[in-house]
Amino acid sequence: MNEIAKVRLFDFRTAFDHPVTLWVTVAIAAALVVAPIIILALSRSGRINGELRKELFRRYLSWLVMVPLMLGPVLLGAFWTIAGIGLLSLFCYREYARATGLFREKLLSLVLMLGIVAVTLATLDHWYRLFVALTPLMVAVIAATGLLADRPNGYIQRVGLAVLAFLLFGTSMGHLGYFANDTNYRPYLILLVLAVEANDIFAYCCGKLFGRRKLAPNTSPKKTIAGSVGAVILTTLLVVGIGWFLFPAVTVTAHGINRWQQLRYLAMLGLIISVVGQFGDLMLSAIKRDLGLKDMGKLIPGHGGLLDRFDSLILVAPAAFHFANYIAGVGLNQPVKILTGA
Amino acid sequence: MNSWTMQPANDLELAESARWTSLNRESGLVSTLLHGATWGMIKSYLGLYHRLRIEGIENIPEKPPFVLVSNHTSHLDALVLGAVMPGQLRDRVFPIAAGDVFFCSAWRSAFAAKLLNALPMWRKRCGAHALQELRRRLLDEPCAYILFPEGCRSRNGRTQPFKNGIGMLVASADVPVVPCHIDGAFESLPPGRWAPVPRSITLRIGAPLRFDSVENDRLGWEQIAGTLRSAIEQIGEANTECQVRI
Repeated sequence: MNEIAKVRLFDFRTAFDHPVTLWVTVAIAAALVVAPIIILALSRSGRINGELRKELFRRYLSWLVMVPLMLGPVLLGAFWTIAGIGLLSLFCYREYARATGLFREKLLSLVLMLGIVAVTLATLDHWYRLFVALTPLMVAVIAATGLLADRPNGYIQRVGLAVLAFLLFGTSMGHLGYFANDTNYRPYLILLVLAVEANDIFAYCCGKLFGRRKLAPNTSPKKTIAGSVGAVILTTLLVVGIGWFLFPAVTVTAHGINRWQQLRYLAMLGLIISVVGQFGDLMLSAIKRDLGLKDMGKLIPGHGGLLDRFDSLILVAPAAFHFANYIAGVGLNQPVKILTGA
Repeated sequence: MNSWTMQPANDLELAESARWTSLNRESGLVSTLLHGATWGMIKSYLGLYHRLRIEGIENIPEKPPFVLVSNHTSHLDALVLGAVMPGQLRDRVFPIAAGDVFFCSAWRSAFAAKLLNALPMWRKRCGAHALQELRRRLLDEPCAYILFPEGCRSRNGRTQPFKNGIGMLVASADVPVVPCHIDGAFESLPPGRWAPVPRSITLRIGAPLRFDSVENDRLGWEQIAGTLRSAIEQIGEANTECQVRI
């Protein structure tokens, strides 16, 4: 294995080489320290009641577990990042399968899980051609596997559910992992996840403050147009703000992009993250409504299932990846086919 | 066009540890693989260590619902009956196990649920409610149960009176009940012993009985329990020569 690849995959000593990684890590740690104090202060001053305080603390404790689980692998190295995202995809699939009933199709489940593992291995290998090929090939494999039971009744339904599952948890989540093949994957991924989570919070806050007209009352009764628009504006500002420091002038001009163009591209990225993220959120709401469920699972106290937390990220990952790949390229100066040989 | 037929898992709302003891538990891919591996090992163990012989394997219905009942003298009984089930039914066959023994701690529940696919029956507070739930699942899903109508292991090897629970499960329903007799399990691993001795075990499977015309009331339940008990004793007394090895 090449020395450059080894450093990217396993060397945690480079974790804070990029200043944005350091700042954001410090900021998140600070937020986790300050949050309980704010909750307590609000509760003392009587602004929130005991019920809400308990709920907020439950969510806070979940974040206290989730943040190290998400940030830890990214800081440790690209190998842990990709492996962690692969594991997350498998658990997301499990939740989806149990909610839709697809889990009763054992053979399809097995094929899907192997497909997700294959995507993870292609990502680790930095073998983009295989990574791209897996999507259409898996559609064929799923369509063929669905035939094996010789049970045409319900064929479209189970194959349709399985293909959607692979597109969401294999292909789309896989793009999140593929970011880790770039030299600067740490700040990229941190910016992406931070922007997506902030997008949710911005929409919630703007909706609480200004929201009157409903966005899609049948799909998700609590979302408002004001919340949605507010989130678009604030998320775009956040992405432009962090992105300005993320890509210093030297690297930007190396790609033949001037600072004004960079500003425009960052605004576009922020817009993509916010709009696509909100559609991801609505997609999961629609899936839950269709199935008659409140939450997808019970895994994260105060949040629901894994998918209730990561719904927006699933659709954002490929959109942000291909935008970045189109503008500047992802992982261009990293060795390819690390494991299988060039 | 068919409407939406796929349903969320029946135990979707439950936390992982609560699923283990739930009567609504449904297996996913990982559980299925674990069940297959466990029962494969149990099968080879019974074949090699106890030289398990089976008579009347053709009496096991091809499709659920059905209930397998037998005399109960040893922990090996459930393993013997579970081992003769066809592999493709593995996820739909549930040994009914005593909750106070097999589901009394998280470790035991995980073992019974994840490896054996057992469902709990709480003997002390086993109300009609739990039996109704089992009956509903048996008919609706449909699935198959392995159970011992005596309610606990015989301490002397002889068959004890049957409890009415089996009647409450199948009375006036079109469910075949397969009476079985196990010979040699008591000598191999009687209650109180920890390690089994390598004695040979014989399983005789009788013709299925149906109780769809029996009233679903106390009299009917007693009649079913009595009928099954004499059927099992009869199979045991026949003492025919067994040829089929597992």
